[in-house]
Amino acid sequence: MTRRYRRHPELRLTALEGEGVALHLGTRRYYTVSESGLDLLEALATPKTLDELVAVLTARYEVTEAVATDTTREFVERGVKTGVLVVEERP
Amino acid sequence: MRAGIGVTGDDDALVSWVAAWIDGMRLAPPVPLGIELRAVPALSEDEVDERAPFLQPGIEIRSGPPQGDVRVRWLAAPARARIAGGAHDAVVEVTPAALADPEPLAQSFFSVVLILLLRRAGWHHVHAALARDPRGRDWLFAGNAQSGKSTTAALLASWGWAVGCDDAAFLVRSRASIEAVAQRAPVALRPAGRALLGLAGGTAARGGRKSAFFPEDLGGTWAPRVEPRILVFPRIEGERTSAAPVPAREALAELVRWSAWVVLEPELAQEHLDLLTALARQARCYRVALAPDLFRRRDLLMELVP
Repeated sequence: MTRRYRRHPELRLTALEGEGVALHLGTRRYYTVSESGLDLLEALATPKTLDELVAVLTARYEVTEAVATDTTREFVERGVKTGVLVVEERP
Repeated sequence: MRAGIGVTGDDDALVSWVAAWIDGMRLAPPVPLGIELRAVPALSEDEVDERAPFLQPGIEIRSGPPQGDVRVRWLAAPARARIAGGAHDAVVEVTPAALADPEPLAQSFFSVVLILLLRRAGWHHVHAALARDPRGRDWLFAGNAQSGKSTTAALLASWGWAVGCDDAAFLVRSRASIEAVAQRAPVALRPAGRALLGLAGGTAARGGRKSAFFPEDLGGTWAPRVEPRILVFPRIEGERTSAAPVPAREALAELVRWSAWVVLEPELAQEHLDLLTALARQARCYRVALAPDLFRRRDLLMELVP
């Protein structure tokens, strides 16, 4: 099974000076998002694996793969917990 | 049609009252909107609606899929409204019990119906006061009822600023910028605010709990529409007024906070959010602590935000 993540369909996103705000219409909560978080959320318009998300960060920022993996893992865990992201499991 | 918002119905007195109330706001949305009023003895049973309610003081709103409409219910007495998906008109049912106390019916229920209807014309509500300073710079003060917006608006009017409103503004996209339209209404002051300003008189408002003054009553003028270039998030705090710049992302989050309706109706939410973003981008943003010295130094705000 491959685990992929994507933005919740009720999430609305807006960018401002490289950062952003994510608004969840379902939970009616909003979140401020850092520059890298915004990159990840924009990439998550279509389903992505953790490795694909790590690649988004390593392509954009001068970080090691290990740091990008930690950042991405923390981001998706928090995203799933808050309902900002949904998980798809496919063979 | 009246000022772009037509009011029709089966009860002439009710239609006249609502039409006069809307006329007084001097709003002219870019597309015709309508309110169809039905005076009913009692509300029929609601259709099943399993959408999670969005609660505001005294109001319950259901919106979004699968029905795609917006339904507003007043909790103080039986009155409800429905705006169909994509429609430019609201159907409103009002009972005699709701009409027994017209001021809260207008301030609470009809105001919400109007806010939701104006969204269909691309006008998006924000809790804000609007003003134009003597240098011609436009200000938007966003915050809740206890943030000092009304007292500040009254103070600025007394110094000759043009003031648009003290609480209800609508953001609109013009050709090159974001503008804010004022809902014409008197600035409503609590006794403490009135005392700070040394004001007497005014019109009784909010069941006599507040006194209301138009900007012209205070020595100012009315600004029906401004192009905010200075965005302030006020709070009443301390002994000395101060201003601190706010990063754009924080300013945007604050604007979302004071635009509660942004979360309603998925097809309009992104448009509303984009307007807030564009406003945060076009304006310089500040948190301002409002203190008693503001009342003694009429240029203080302009000095703090040069």
